[in-house]
Amino acid sequence: MKPIVTIATWLAALLLSTSAGAEVLAVRADAAPSRPDDAAWKGAPAAAVPLVLQDMVEPRLLQPSTAEVEVRAIADGERIAFRLEWKDATRDELPGIARYSDACAVQLPASTAPDVPAPQMGEAQRPVEITYWRAFWQGAVEGREDSIQALYPNTSVDHYPFQAPSLPPGSEAQQEMARRYAPARALGNAMAGPREQPVEDLIAEGPGTTRPAPKAQSRGWGARTADGWSVVLSRPLPVDLGSGGRTQVAFAVWQGAQGEAGSRKMRSVWVPLRLAAEAGGR
Amino acid sequence: MARVYNWQLGREMSYWYPESRPKKQFAAVFDTNKCIACQTCTIACKTTWTSGKGQEYMLWNNVETKPYGFYPLAWDVKLLDQLGPQPWGSGPYEGRTLFEAAEAGERVLGFRPDDLDYAHPNVGEDDCTGRIETGAALELPHMNWFYYLARICNHCTYPACLASCPRGSIYKREEDGIVLIDQDRCRGYRECVKGCPYKKVFFNPMTGTSEKCIACFPKMEIGEQPQCFVNCIGKIRFAGYISTPDQAREDNPIDYLVHVRKLALPLFPQFGLEPNVYYIPPIHVPARFLRQMFGPGAERAVETYRGAADDPDLAGLLCLFGSTQFVVPRWKRQGDVVLGLDENGAELVRVPLREPVHVREAFDAALGVPRSNCP
Repeated sequence: MKPIVTIATWLAALLLSTSAGAEVLAVRADAAPSRPDDAAWKGAPAAAVPLVLQDMVEPRLLQPSTAEVEVRAIADGERIAFRLEWKDATRDELPGIARYSDACAVQLPASTAPDVPAPQMGEAQRPVEITYWRAFWQGAVEGREDSIQALYPNTSVDHYPFQAPSLPPGSEAQQEMARRYAPARALGNAMAGPREQPVEDLIAEGPGTTRPAPKAQSRGWGARTADGWSVVLSRPLPVDLGSGGRTQVAFAVWQGAQGEAGSRKMRSVWVPLRLAAEAGGR
Repeated sequence: MARVYNWQLGREMSYWYPESRPKKQFAAVFDTNKCIACQTCTIACKTTWTSGKGQEYMLWNNVETKPYGFYPLAWDVKLLDQLGPQPWGSGPYEGRTLFEAAEAGERVLGFRPDDLDYAHPNVGEDDCTGRIETGAALELPHMNWFYYLARICNHCTYPACLASCPRGSIYKREEDGIVLIDQDRCRGYRECVKGCPYKKVFFNPMTGTSEKCIACFPKMEIGEQPQCFVNCIGKIRFAGYISTPDQAREDNPIDYLVHVRKLALPLFPQFGLEPNVYYIPPIHVPARFLRQMFGPGAERAVETYRGAADDPDLAGLLCLFGSTQFVVPRWKRQGDVVLGLDENGAELVRVPLREPVHVREAFDAALGVPRSNCP
């Protein structure tokens, strides 16, 4: 019995140390992986990052859901990829009036400095950069039809104005008519699609200030695991983060089945992020 | 939370933002006694604004039968149940508003409807439960009566949707008090859907954003009433601008009906939003039900309405409903004629108090033939 107890004690100690003092170490690879099943992830150490309720600003999350996210990171000199894995019993990727998306996000301070802004979405004049993945968008990128029947198969629609016989299919006039009844699309709101990536680049300077970043540079891909999600989020390495450099990173996870969206989420505090000595490149 | 004054409650209350009233406040009066639930308003709105993908089950305007009709399902009774019984005598509201009853971590007391709650907009239609001749077949709290409740966004003075949005994506226009969702800023969190007690914010699953009634602001801006008003068959609606009670003007039609005569009442004022669509309550509905839905002034309003036929000013003003496509900010009666005026007193419309009656004899003596009503 004794050796087993010893191993168990050692494992417990290890787990405690990783969750309490988790550090994300980004190892070097020739190319930052773009898919969660890439073999390169086996070479990256896992950090178990505990998540806490977002209970700083209203509306808060009142019931804890995702306790922990397991994070690995790989950098290739130009980009850094994070793989987030968490337990989630339900696959929530189909939009609906009362359906919410599974989602996750990685947040880095906009400038690498020892004094980081508040982990809750940054602060005024001290922005954070966020790469945000939504299962709804993953489904769209994977080919879900852009129709209400894809969301509600039994929906009956008699007519849309853009289907008028006077509007040639595919014509600018027809597209203009479709945009007329989809103001968010007409304005280019990234929520509204169509999408090429299941991720979005965001800037925030405090809770409620999230806005699209000037350039879309992030990529990502999510896949279901046996008991949850495995999602890769990749973005350019911060310009001021070189080999062996350190900064902070934070994570957030939303479970759609729990109605989590926006500020109702499980989030981490800042977690140290270290680039392996050979992982930088600038 | 800030402290703000809500004149409908006669007291201060808590709200997420400080009091900031617009220069003008869009308002409307709906006469429930004239509504026939033809849904022409619903179609007028739908055709104009919500015929796109993801808007299939979205009705910015709807007409539901009370007490058993709802869109979305059970929107009002669910929230009334959540809020619980609240006291309100003849003075200021003594109960809690939705802002005051908000649980820890929330900005407002509310709930999220389910997908299927939107799937049956006509549920309960014309359901009055009674079979008087043979005895009622169904025993429910409300027997043998119903009425139609036409609903749009209330463009509240203290909107719960606006208070609920953690991103500030909803704004109330300074120039006319119309409440809008910034379709560029919205990220589809649906806190507004949860927060609006009237459930007049809708999520569009195809655009990923929430959408709502815009009071046809492009029309209001050029002095024309919204689509659901001008298309109303029953002429039950009147759009304009309301003053606060201390600034009320007798020659402002909305002020006259709401403040002077206290005939038109807000919908569920106890929620605390100071909603700006005012209802002339149905005169055949039990007073208890009306008090719950329109506040303590309901019985007096019914009494006033019953006397309207002998009240030339009131009858005259009610004749202006549905008489013009223009917004009528001023009015006056001259004998048997009612005039709708613009801000400068220029005439927009002229309506007789009594339409002239022409009797067409059943027998045409000149031609020596009986007349038929067939076309």
